[in-house]
Amino acid sequence: MLSSAQAPRLVRSPGLRLRPIKCLHTAQSSPLATTTTTAPSSQILTIRKSLLTQQTTAVDLAKSFLDRLRRTEPQLNSFLYVSPDDAVLKQAEELDNKIKNNEKLGPLAGVLVGIKDNICTSDMPSTAGSRILENYRPPFDATAVRKLKESGAIVVGKTNLDEFGMGSTTEGSAYQVTANPWDLSRVPGGSSGGSAAAVSARQCVVSLGSDTGGSVRQPAAFCGVVGLKPTYGRVSRYGLVAYASSLDVIGCFGSSVADAGILLHTISGYDKFDSTSSKREVPDFTSQFVGKDYLESKPLKGLRVGVIRETFGDGVDPEVISSVRGAVTHLEELGCFVTEVSLPSFSLGLPAYYVLASSESSSNLSRYDGIRYGNQVLGDELNSLYGYSRAQGFGSEVKMRILMGTYALSAGYYDAYYKRAQQVRTIIRDSFKSALEKNDILISPASPSVAYKIGEKKDDPLAMYAGDKMTVNVNLAGLPALVLPCGFVEGGSAGLPVGFQMIGAAFDEEKLLKVGHIFEQTLQVSSAVPPLIAGELTC
Amino acid sequence: MASRAALLVLRATPPLFSFKKDIFPNKTLIFKQNNRNYAAKSCLEPPDVQRLAETARISLTPHEVEEFAPKIRQVIDWFGQLQAVDLQNVEPAIRADNEGETLREDLPEIFENSNV
Repeated sequence: MLSSAQAPRLVRSPGLRLRPIKCLHTAQSSPLATTTTTAPSSQILTIRKSLLTQQTTAVDLAKSFLDRLRRTEPQLNSFLYVSPDDAVLKQAEELDNKIKNNEKLGPLAGVLVGIKDNICTSDMPSTAGSRILENYRPPFDATAVRKLKESGAIVVGKTNLDEFGMGSTTEGSAYQVTANPWDLSRVPGGSSGGSAAAVSARQCVVSLGSDTGGSVRQPAAFCGVVGLKPTYGRVSRYGLVAYASSLDVIGCFGSSVADAGILLHTISGYDKFDSTSSKREVPDFTSQFVGKDYLESKPLKGLRVGVIRETFGDGVDPEVISSVRGAVTHLEELGCFVTEVSLPSFSLGLPAYYVLASSESSSNLSRYDGIRYGNQVLGDELNSLYGYSRAQGFGSEVKMRILMGTYALSAGYYDAYYKRAQQVRTIIRDSFKSALEKNDILISPASPSVAYKIGEKKDDPLAMYAGDKMTVNVNLAGLPALVLPCGFVEGGSAGLPVGFQMIGAAFDEEKLLKVGHIFEQTLQVSSAVPPLIAGELTC
Repeated sequence: MASRAALLVLRATPPLFSFKKDIFPNKTLIFKQNNRNYAAKSCLEPPDVQRLAETARISLTPHEVEEFAPKIRQVIDWFGQLQAVDLQNVEPAIRADNEGETLREDLPEIFENSNV
């Protein structure tokens, strides 16, 4: 059994086959020397370099990704909609022409992106994983999607999710269940399971998800990829199907910290269509992604790291704990000053989150009335039209959360539940704020366990909610957080990934990404790929 | 707001259902960890799923009401631990609010797609 308590380096045991990705090219083209340590490991930067030096064309690159996508899709089911090949290749061709004419390329030129299906795209269906929006095509692109397209990215399709973002396994989708690329009998996490699985299986380079209570970070941990949740207000929510408006953010998945960071930088910024979006300047956090050779011996010297005591107690897998402690040891080796931090209000976050999220969702989902858009079921009069359309369009988890929210907001109950939950939010926000005055970042596991079997938690809502306890407080406090892989535990045919979470101060994504990048470059965990595709990537 | 008024009218009659406690022995770790005093919540009526469904305009089948009621009851009971926390003098936060005032000047703005 893998024990990270010994050393942060991965130990090659008989059960584990870890093959680093050498490069993305087909066997014909000349290999790019990505095993150097002068360049940071980043698919986006590697792609950019090989396009600009004309070692590969955007069309060849798109073809190789589409090939892999179609080959792995029957087993993974990570996409609800895949763009037709000719649409993708046409965009790639246009890019190749731009390169030939020496035109300026956007930062994500040639990069294939998957988009969670609760983010509106005008040229593709956007169902939010629900039957009530089956075949719905929004008349506009979400701001994040518009910015991606402007940067040269190619949207390859819409990924699967738990209906309306409500769930932690992607089993709540009305359409299909996505499998974890590391073990097809296990969940990829949720609600952005499709986006996480797609990046993990290299069906696309990066993807967008949404995070209301951990929906980007937990699937990132389960699928062994990097998940980045920005500060609330960093990225515009215009075009994100609202679940809980005070908690929702759009987040990024990548196979490396640099990729997630470059993607975040592209979609961040003030948007007049989102009144909660921040007017703060977005710093260029991409310039700090340097290769390992450029790092000093103790590159994180003086960084104060606080390990949250309450996240290592009861209910957390001992193997997860030992893996995360291994990550902490590695941070110490890099020069960090590590202490333990106590947040006594930590455990209140979970019930407060579910009260707030259910209540806000009961209000946000009242717009799905069978009249404005989406599917309609006729009734004798208006209330029954509403009743039947919603009853047939919504799945059971969504219905339950709407009913719980309706209860918590009812006259006479508002003070007991919703108002109290908001007061708990104040307490949690303040406790994180004071902890982050004494520490640069806080650490916890991303999830109390690794990916569990499909169907295991389906009938027990509280057991499923309990899995969110590491992540919800960050949404309540509106802070940024980064999840990256730190080790493996036994399971599946090649181990199951463990992710750890780094939490930063509000709008301090720059520091989080810097620490994450250095951690990752000095510990090659992220170059491991799931056995599903291990044989395909050749040099 | 209209639904709250409607609920006030409907609440004139006493609740129709009363649920047996502890019909599901499968307690989660959360219940075990928090041996809090739930007495404060006993003055609140348990969730009446049929009535909530009418308020939320979702036509549930009787089978669904039967299926959801215990699960909803279980989760609402779990929410009850918020009653036991001392929250005197704590301001409720409508959102994380890391920004402060975000209101703009009260001046009219013309948009490109305006028909005026």
